[in-house]
Amino acid sequence: MNLKDQFRFVRQNMKKNKTRLFMTILATAIGCTFLIVLASVGFGLHKSIIQDVMEDSLVTEIQVHGKEAGEGNFQGIKDEDIQHFREITGVKAVTRRQSLQQSPIFKTEDYTAQSEAVSAYFPEEVKAGFELSEGRLPEKENEVVVGSSFADGLSLEPKEGENAFNEDGSIKEEYAYKGELVGKTIEMEVIKMEDGKEIKKSIPLTITGVTKKPSKEWMQIRTVFISEDIFKEVEAFTGTPGGSPEQVEGASGDTGRIYDRVSLYAKDVEAVTGINDQLKDGNYMVYSIVNEMKQINMVFTILKIGLLFIGTIALIIASIGIYNTMTMAVTERAPDIGIMKAIGAHPKTIKRIFVLESSYIGLLGALFGTIVAYGISYAVNLALPLVLERVFEEAPPEGLMLSYIPWSLTLISVAICLTVTIFSGWRPAKRATQVDVLKAMRREV
Amino acid sequence: MIEVRELSHAFEIGKKEKKTVIPVLVDVSFSVEKGEIVTIVGRSGSGKSTLLNIISGFIKPKHGEVWIHGEKVSDYNEGKFADFRLAYLGFIFQSFQLIPSMTAYQNVELPLILKGMTEKERQQKTEETLKRVGLIEYKDHYPSELSGGQQQRVSIARALVVNPPLILADEPTGSLDSETENELLQFIQELNRDLGITFLIITHDEKVAAIGHKTIEITDGRVMEGVLA
Ligand SMILES: Nc1ncnc2c1ncn2[C@@H]1O[C@H](COP(=O)(O)OP(=O)(O)OP(=O)(O)O)[C@@H](O)[C@H]1O
Ligand SMILES: [Mg+2]
Repeated sequence: MNLKDQFRFVRQNMKKNKTRLFMTILATAIGCTFLIVLASVGFGLHKSIIQDVMEDSLVTEIQVHGKEAGEGNFQGIKDEDIQHFREITGVKAVTRRQSLQQSPIFKTEDYTAQSEAVSAYFPEEVKAGFELSEGRLPEKENEVVVGSSFADGLSLEPKEGENAFNEDGSIKEEYAYKGELVGKTIEMEVIKMEDGKEIKKSIPLTITGVTKKPSKEWMQIRTVFISEDIFKEVEAFTGTPGGSPEQVEGASGDTGRIYDRVSLYAKDVEAVTGINDQLKDGNYMVYSIVNEMKQINMVFTILKIGLLFIGTIALIIASIGIYNTMTMAVTERAPDIGIMKAIGAHPKTIKRIFVLESSYIGLLGALFGTIVAYGISYAVNLALPLVLERVFEEAPPEGLMLSYIPWSLTLISVAICLTVTIFSGWRPAKRATQVDVLKAMRREV
Repeated sequence: MIEVRELSHAFEIGKKEKKTVIPVLVDVSFSVEKGEIVTIVGRSGSGKSTLLNIISGFIKPKHGEVWIHGEKVSDYNEGKFADFRLAYLGFIFQSFQLIPSMTAYQNVELPLILKGMTEKERQQKTEETLKRVGLIEYKDHYPSELSGGQQQRVSIARALVVNPPLILADEPTGSLDSETENELLQFIQELNRDLGITFLIITHDEKVAAIGHKTIEITDGRVMEGVLA
C-alpha cells in the first residue's frame, strides 16, 4: 500500500467523526500554542537583554579592574602592566584612563559646571574607536575634549532666591549655555585642604573637541578629558595620588602611576576569550561583555529549557485526548479492520494507517497552534509597550520584546508536538493490529 | 492445491482453574486438487467453519499441517499469512463482509490498494471485475443500497479482482433466496470452468454440495471419506 493511498485512507477515516476530530486537533493546537508562547517569552527576554547589553558597548572590549597579588591583596594597573597588555596577541589597543579624585568646577565666561575630569591617552583611545562629533583631538597639554553633554551642565549664577534647575534636573532656559564650545577657553578650578582650609587653584584649558553622542539617548557624558600632564599638575598641587583634596586614610605610599580605568580592545570578537583567559592566568580581574554574555546565555538556556518543559506538559495533556480519540477510532473501526486483515492487509499496514492518522492530527494541531502562537506573540509585543506606558507612565525601552519566536523554536515545538502525538497514537495503532479477524467479522468487538 | 495433514484443534474455554478443552477437529486429513470444486458438509457444530478458518490462517491449529500452493502456511506468522492471503486467496463469506462506508467500487478496489497498484491499473481492473459480476451500474452504491445477492456479488468481485487461484467460501448462499442461490452457483461453476479457479466451499445445503467435484463430510470433527457427487 503506497503512501498516497494510506493518506487518502486516513483522510477518509478522519471524516467519519468530524466533531471529535476537531476537538482533538483543537486540544493539540492549544497545547502547541501554549508551548510556543510560553517559550517565546524566554526567547524574547533573552533577545531583548542581549540587544540591550550589546548595544553601545564594544563586544571587543575587555575591562581590567586590577590585579590580585596573593590572598586578598589587590593592586591597581600600572604602566608595566599596560606594557604587558600591549604584547598580548590579538590586542588592538590598550586605553588607560585615570579619574581625578575630585570633581573640579569648570568656568567659561559666566557659566559654570561641575564635572568629573579624566585623563586619557588619546593615540590609544583613537585606535579603540574614540570619536568626536566636532573639533579635533588635543595636541598640547592644556587642550581638552569634553563629553557630548558637557554643555547641558553649564549654567549662569541664578538670581537671588531663584533656582537654576527645572524639576527634572535640567537647567532652566534662561540660565542654559547656548553657545559654541570648540575653541573656548575654560578655567578648571581644583581644591586642596590644608589645616582644614580650602585652597583653590585655577588651571586654564582650551576645548578642542566634543565627543560623539552615544547611541543611547539617556546616556549623558559630561566628562572632561584632560591630558596626563594636567593630571600630574593637579597631583603636584594637592600632593596626593589621583589629585584627592585630602590625604586618604590608609592609602598606600606607593607612588607609581595607577590607572583606574584600563580597557583592552581585541582585534575581533573571536580573540576576546583567548585574551580573557590569558589575563585571568595573570591574576588580573577582568570583565568583558562576551564573557558576561556566556553567563547570560547559560541562564537563559536553562530558562528556555524549563519553559519548554512546562509547555510540553500541556502537549502531553493534549496527547491524552489523541490517545482517547485514536482508541475510540480503533474500536469503532474494528469490523473494518477485521475485514481488511481477512483479505490480506499486513498488520504493519494497519499500524501505519493509524500512526499516520495520529501524526496527521498532531501535524494539523501543530500547524494551527503555531499560527495562533505567532498571532498571540505579535499581539503581546504590540500591546505590551502600551500597557507598560499606562502603568509606569513612561515609555518602555526601545526594542523591548516580551515574546519572540525564532525559527528554531517553531521547529523544536513542532518536533515535540509530533513526537508526543505519534507516541500517544502508538498504542491504539498497536491495538488495531491485534484486532481478531473472526471476532471482528462476527461484529463482536 | 490444498493439502491438510493430520490436523487437530481444540478450543480452550474459561479461566485457568476452570478451563475446559473442547476438541473440535480430530486428525483431519484431505486434499484439494487444482481446478476442483470441493464442498465440505456436516451438521451444525461439527467444526466446518473452524477447519476453513484454520486453512485461511484466522486460527492457528494445535496440531497438523496445512499446505497451500506448495507452501506450508500453517507455519506462517500473521504478517506472512496476510501477504499470502492477498496474493493467493479469495474469500466469500456468508454475511458478505463488505465495508459499509465504502461504495461497491471501493470495496472491490481495496485488495488492489493493499497490493500497492497504481490508480490507473486499479481502475481498469476494478471496472473489469465489476462488469464480470454484472454490477458496473451499481459501482457507486454503498452496501446498504444493494440487495443481498448484489452484495454477495460485490464480495465475489472483491475476491476475484486479484486473480486468486483459490477461493474459500463459508456458507456463501446462506443469506440468499433460492433463485439468487442458483444464479450464484452457476456463476461459481462458470468461474471454475473459464478461469480454472479452485473452490473450497462449506455448506449444509445439498444443492450447494452437489456442485462439488468432491464432497467431504465432517462429523464430530472427523472426516468421513466419501465422494458424494
Ligand atoms: N472461538 C471459539 N471458542 C470456543 N469454541 C468455539 C469457538 N469457535 C467455535 N467453537 C466451537 O467449535 C465447535 C465447532 O464450531 P464451528 O463453527 O466450526 O461449527 P460449524 O460446523 O461451522 O457449524 P455451523 O454449521 O453451525 O456453522 C462448536 O462446538 C463451537 O462451539
Ligand atoms: Mg459454520
